[in-house]
Amino acid sequence: MRQAEDLILRDYIVSAASQIMAGGGSNADNPTNLGISDFSLVATTLDTNNAYKFMSGIEGMDRFGTGPVRSAYFMLSSTELQSDFDGLVGQGFLSQWNYPTNASALPSEYGSVFNTRILTSSEAPVARGASANGNDVYYNTVLGKQAITHINQDGFSMNLIYRDPYYSGMLAQNATLAVKFAQSQALTQDTAIRNLLCTRIANLTI
Amino acid sequence: MAEYSRMASGKVTSTGGQTAVVLPFIPDFIEISNQTRAVAASGVTRAWWETDMGQGAAFLTTTSAGPADGTSFITTATGTGFSTIQAGLSLQYGPTFLLGGAGGIAKTSATLLTVTTTANHGLTTGNWVTFSNLYQTSTTGMQQIAGIPFMVTVTGATTFTIDWVGNGSNLTAITTGGLNTLASFKKILYPVLYAPGVAFPWKIDVGTTTTIHCTAPHNYRVGQEVGFRIPSAYGMTQINELPNVTIPGSPKYYYVTSVTDSKTFVINCDSSAFTAFSVNNTFLSFPGLQFAQVVAVGDVNTGGYPYAGAALYPSPTVFNGFTASTSTGVSTINGPAIQGAYYNATFQGFIIGSGVSGTAEDVIYWRAYMHDINYI
Repeated sequence: MRQAEDLILRDYIVSAASQIMAGGGSNADNPTNLGISDFSLVATTLDTNNAYKFMSGIEGMDRFGTGPVRSAYFMLSSTELQSDFDGLVGQGFLSQWNYPTNASALPSEYGSVFNTRILTSSEAPVARGASANGNDVYYNTVLGKQAITHINQDGFSMNLIYRDPYYSGMLAQNATLAVKFAQSQALTQDTAIRNLLCTRIANLTI
Repeated sequence: MAEYSRMASGKVTSTGGQTAVVLPFIPDFIEISNQTRAVAASGVTRAWWETDMGQGAAFLTTTSAGPADGTSFITTATGTGFSTIQAGLSLQYGPTFLLGGAGGIAKTSATLLTVTTTANHGLTTGNWVTFSNLYQTSTTGMQQIAGIPFMVTVTGATTFTIDWVGNGSNLTAITTGGLNTLASFKKILYPVLYAPGVAFPWKIDVGTTTTIHCTAPHNYRVGQEVGFRIPSAYGMTQINELPNVTIPGSPKYYYVTSVTDSKTFVINCDSSAFTAFSVNNTFLSFPGLQFAQVVAVGDVNTGGYPYAGAALYPSPTVFNGFTASTSTGVSTINGPAIQGAYYNATFQGFIIGSGVSGTAEDVIYWRAYMHDINYI
């Protein structure tokens, strides 16, 4: 039932936050696939707008195959982009497995690029076939700490309601199962959030 | 025993095509009576639908002069009867509609592009679309507008117009004989589930106040606070939130002082000395092309939506792709809200299809039921 909350907040952000089209990739679409410069652009934009980063950096350690991680904004991305992220290894992408320590890594964290740490989800927004060349467009929400808020109205969050048949109808024939929640979402600082739109490198049509 | 049934009734003005009715449930029985057609003694006067008929079907009663009434049935294959709708998820699109061999996009004027399709496009005025693959040759065409949401104005079964600087020198018309057969559009099924959101200006009139023309409804209100993201390629970066010509963004906001129509609004910005706004980007710049954007960032508290003779505290109204009007939005099923504040415009209900909705401005009375149980 928490998925409903996620989808509502996701769709709200898609509609309300402004967009940056990826242009650093090589697939000649609009937006392009993600290039390293796109991560720099969006982080620079948020830095310039004085957004707060979510995570402080991870100091480098004397461990094979690891590297330090910068202080970072979060980017919420689709799991379908993971192969594209893997393609950026050596250009700036650092897998979560290659962090000096995984202590601060979130379960859904896939890795980081420069000042952005990437969380992936199968529920991330995708506009199917909506790019200039007709490819899928992925919305990667990059946000600072002060960008959004989530309010549980009247003090209650999500309620799972079950009433057995005795209480659900005069003839006690049917039970009631429902989910109820009263919440609102808001962008508290729109300059601290951007939807970085991109396509994938592999699904070219022209 | 009725435990879970829902019943509702109301009145709607036909768009002449697909006409939406917003409900707090999804009906399994729908019935309409068209007053205007009955008086005119021409067309569909009554129509009804049950869920077992399938989406897009309808029984209907037609009339013409005299008592020669008849009945007919629209099949789901034809699909112009009734259908139910549940608009809860963003980024939903209709099928890719190729313009086809006889299709194209003409550079009509400084304010319009005219799209021609080979097959009937099936759109109604107020629908939103987005384009893809607008190539005339591999290096010319209109890819600069691909990906931007546009509200359409239907001018015929195979033609519609969109607002844009249609005479831009860097646009090449899409015509027969080129790559026009690959050019396509998709209908954006539910473009405004949360409002107000991001809007895309195609023209900005400078002056002591500044008028913004958008490609699709902005859903802003007087008192709305807005911010701009104008990339440097579009010229007018001075209106941006930060005086930074390469990276749009930061806190310098303006207020909406008047709303001309659903796609046009005026802000309290003296832009007399600003660089002219231009969307005349070159074709080859389209990969990674940033779009000019305006976003809602707040509002002065202008109170609730004004009493208009029905509900004492009316629900917000929204231009959500289901109204041809550019002055009166569709009422949502929410409670009262502050004008200019974000509101949830998700909805469900039913669509009166073009086969039963009569002509534009017809007065239609409807009833909709959701029954407890359906036996097949």
